[in-house]
Amino acid sequence: MSERNSVEETADSASATTDGRTDSRSDLLRVRDLSTRFFTEEGQVNAVESVSFDVRDGEILGIVGESGSGKSVTALSLIDLVESPGRVTSGQVWYRNPDLAEEFPDAADGEFVDLRELPTRVRRTLRGPSFSMIFQDPMSSFNPSITVGEQIAEAVEVQRRANANPRSTRSRTQGYGLGRFILDGVVPNRDYTDPESSRRAVELLEQVGIPDPEQRADEYPHQFSGGMLQRAMIAQALAGEPDVLIADEPTTALDVTIQAQILNLLRDLQDERNMSIVMITHDLGVIARMCDRVCVMYAGEVVERGTLADVFDRPVHPYTEGLLGSIPDLDDPAPRLQPIEGNVPSLLDSEMGDRCYFADRCPKAMSECLTHPPEFDAAGSEEHRARCVLADHDYDPSEALPEDFFGGGSPAETGVTSTDQQAEDGATSEVSQDD
Amino acid sequence: MSFGRFLLKRVLQGVLVVWGVITAVFLLRFITPGNPVDFVAPLDASQELRQQIAAELGLDQPLYIQYFEYLFGLLQGDMGYSYLSGQEASVIVFNRLPATVELAVAATIVAVVLSIPLGVISATRRHQPADYGATTFSLLGISTPNFWLGIMLLLVLSVQFDVFPVGRRGIPFVDAFTLLLQGNVSGMQLWLSHIALPAITLGTYFTALITRLTRSGMLDELGKSYVRAARAKGIPETLVRYRHALRNTLIPVITVVGLQLGTLIGGAVITEQVFNWPGLGLEVIGAVNARDWPILQGSLIVIGIGFVLVNIVVDALYAYLDPRVVD
Amino acid sequence: MVSPRTVRNLKREWRDNWLAKVGVVLVVAMVLVAVFAPFIAPYNPRSQSLDDNRLPPMGFSKTENQTSSEFVDGEAQVVSEEVTINATWDHPLGTNQLGQDMLSRVIYGARTSLLVGFFGTLFAMLIGVPIGLVAGYSRGRVDDALMRFADVMLAFPSLVLAVALVGLWGRATFRIPDPFVALGLAPGMPGSVVIPGTVIAVVALVTWVWFARVARGEALSVREEEYVKAARSLGASDRFVVWKHVLPNSLTPILVLGTIQIAAIILLESALSFLGFSGTTLSWGFDIAQGRDDLATAWWVATIPGLAIVLTVIGINLVGDWLRDALDPGLGGEGGSGA
Ligand code: SF4
Repeated sequence: MSERNSVEETADSASATTDGRTDSRSDLLRVRDLSTRFFTEEGQVNAVESVSFDVRDGEILGIVGESGSGKSVTALSLIDLVESPGRVTSGQVWYRNPDLAEEFPDAADGEFVDLRELPTRVRRTLRGPSFSMIFQDPMSSFNPSITVGEQIAEAVEVQRRANANPRSTRSRTQGYGLGRFILDGVVPNRDYTDPESSRRAVELLEQVGIPDPEQRADEYPHQFSGGMLQRAMIAQALAGEPDVLIADEPTTALDVTIQAQILNLLRDLQDERNMSIVMITHDLGVIARMCDRVCVMYAGEVVERGTLADVFDRPVHPYTEGLLGSIPDLDDPAPRLQPIEGNVPSLLDSEMGDRCYFADRCPKAMSECLTHPPEFDAAGSEEHRARCVLADHDYDPSEALPEDFFGGGSPAETGVTSTDQQAEDGATSEVSQDD
Repeated sequence: MSFGRFLLKRVLQGVLVVWGVITAVFLLRFITPGNPVDFVAPLDASQELRQQIAAELGLDQPLYIQYFEYLFGLLQGDMGYSYLSGQEASVIVFNRLPATVELAVAATIVAVVLSIPLGVISATRRHQPADYGATTFSLLGISTPNFWLGIMLLLVLSVQFDVFPVGRRGIPFVDAFTLLLQGNVSGMQLWLSHIALPAITLGTYFTALITRLTRSGMLDELGKSYVRAARAKGIPETLVRYRHALRNTLIPVITVVGLQLGTLIGGAVITEQVFNWPGLGLEVIGAVNARDWPILQGSLIVIGIGFVLVNIVVDALYAYLDPRVVD
Repeated sequence: MVSPRTVRNLKREWRDNWLAKVGVVLVVAMVLVAVFAPFIAPYNPRSQSLDDNRLPPMGFSKTENQTSSEFVDGEAQVVSEEVTINATWDHPLGTNQLGQDMLSRVIYGARTSLLVGFFGTLFAMLIGVPIGLVAGYSRGRVDDALMRFADVMLAFPSLVLAVALVGLWGRATFRIPDPFVALGLAPGMPGSVVIPGTVIAVVALVTWVWFARVARGEALSVREEEYVKAARSLGASDRFVVWKHVLPNSLTPILVLGTIQIAAIILLESALSFLGFSGTTLSWGFDIAQGRDDLATAWWVATIPGLAIVLTVIGINLVGDWLRDALDPGLGGEGGSGA
């Protein structure tokens, strides 16, 4: 716990750098230039645009942004869960796994394999033992007509069968098909899961702090409270003992007191199991409290990334500054700064243009911002980067764009289109927390 | 609420509906123009003879007495006597019932066995040839009058190519089954060859309807968060489809099928007419034309009770699939 | 109500869904055929010409044994010879047993089907919607009574009930003069349109429950809306609230159900006429019943009117699907009570 405490202090005092510590860990995932697009009736939506970041062993990486910024789609892209009309269109997801690297030398680079180069079948078997995900709304993330215990046991069972017979889809499914379904319907109590798996499910429920786990395992999702169900979803995600747990807004739908409990639980579990967590949230408070490193996303891009201290203490990108300004102070509930005006732009390819996507909301926009900026190195730790010209040189008021440069029909006015919301499929509240 | 109590409640409701059905059927005679005696008595019957007939039929009593007599008769299985043949109405009705039940059950089996796989394939291979085939079939199926379909089947398969016999029930299922137990399959063959066309005729609309419902329900369910969550925890696609999505798809499908059961029975009436199938439907039509009230009332009540019974089964199935109903 | 968003959805579904276009074309074509039947039909559908009986439709021919007596060597002998009868453009869809022109009968049959379909649905709506709205809005006793009554109604298959009611109440019809014929524009055509009154009344009586159920459901949910609560708390009368808020909000699902019901009622009407429970002989179902007895010698008499039914009902169902997809009234699989 000592290391965790130090991170908390870092976050709270927001002063010390954490460079030394993070560097000592090795990368587990390296995401490079990942792009995901949705091909909708309105046109092509660039939900995720050339995103790069690393996830290290045993760390918590935060991805923060407003709704519609592409953070949830990024997470879904990692584990190949983007649904039609969306598709991961380019980029690589390198995953450190020597066994797979040996088995698929074509997709490998050293100990790493590019998940996108693996056969779909193999990539899918990684869900569970390598990656798992928890979602914002636990109530809709459980099948309403199957008991909670059974759903967790099912996740255990799949892994059990996979271990008994690695890489055979058949053994995992065990011929489960329409015929079996009908048989199960006619003959009750014939379940897919083994009693062994059900016992394990109860254990998992106990580990995530659900009282009376044995009894609650036989209950249906609608008999659980939101907080308890979120715990159960975490238990379910742990069933395969994943290397990386992706948590997509895990506390947004919960009461404040429950939120804190769930975050503590996640941190304890991460510590015990030394897994990595990718924490996706619009809540900078959650980031400050939980994360080692942070990616800030805007309009499908990572606009700033670095250690917690880099981003919180030396933010470069005006968007990050704006976000930080809108965190309510504990002592002074009124926000210190005005939240950022305007909306997340439409991510329609045809409307995006070649400029800094934030320029229409940026208080420091200059004429050079009308060309799309590259990622610059920024002051602070080695890995602090920002996609903003201010990382390169200071603000020059004489170059500033006139106030009404983006007036009238600018993308800021178009706001979030329905497609973006569908693409984001997650957070619904705006980042500014005072509303 | 436990499953037992849920069922008990449904049965009590069903009894209430059956009582409503009986009352409605009884009152039907009093909102129908014409005196039943006109249909029974000879044209030149004297006033005395007419009164005698009315008294024999119990028609001279006040309404409420007739009603209670009818109700108590029914409780003892007595539906009165046919105006035409003088036979016990209950005997006629229950003689006809098995043919209709056979037909309806065979059609339901055809429909369920074909439609659910078809709907699932259609949903999981969206915008592929199999999906287009299934959606075209289901559009045609819900748009085709079944009596015409039956005639077309007869035209092609019986009149032109003589694959199936033209109409009429070959042999009751019970007899065919008895023969089968004695090791004789010819009875079963006969039964099957006779019921095939009527069952297809009656089952097509339902096959099409359930295919449609399964397809759209499946597409709905597959888009839900719990399916994504199940995939995220590593559940293989076949399990996601059948164990998760299909199960939840069937819940609303079952409700609609329950609501549409009336259509099945109505369809049976007309299918019987097309194939000369000696079931309740033919009996109803004959009884309407002859104003044979005891037979008509008895048939309608039996149909109503059948509908209520099947709906209780449907609801029980629903509660079995969806735990939220019982709680 | 028809909001701009609704119109946009309708347009989008229209653009992306070519089936919707097929449906609208079919329905419009059928309506035009029904309305202008006297101009389109080549013959009076009732006029018989026994010499021309059982002529096959275009593209087909039939063989028939013709017998004639001949005198051979002073003795009368019966000679039987095979004659091939070809279709003629005079009767593109052939003729029936009475030598009536099938094309003209199919065209006039559209009138009966569409009249019964439209007015049957309209009356069912006029009965069902107010009852459903009042029950759903007032809840409590009224609602319970309606739902129990609906349960009893649903326990009778609509076709069985319709057969019983039409059979018992008589097949009354009334006639209105055909305006085109009355104006002398279409000489030789039937002078009046036969409207099967009992059938229309009965199909409305056996299907209104579906409208009541949907209207009730809508009323129950609209009642809970904030603005309705607000209006009530401000002292708006129940009648005002139902008329001003509940009804407009229920229109979409009722409209979609209405479309589907037209198809269901057309099927129901054809089944009734097939069974002989109709007031008019100018009906597709009636013709199918005629053709059924003659399958071996004149298959087209039963086949052609059936195709007309299928095309019409497909057209209406496609329009219904289009409206449902675009308006999303959340009906599920409700409605429909076809034969
Ligand atoms: S690049 Fe320019 S417009 Fe964009 S955030 Fe930086 S300063 Fe603002």
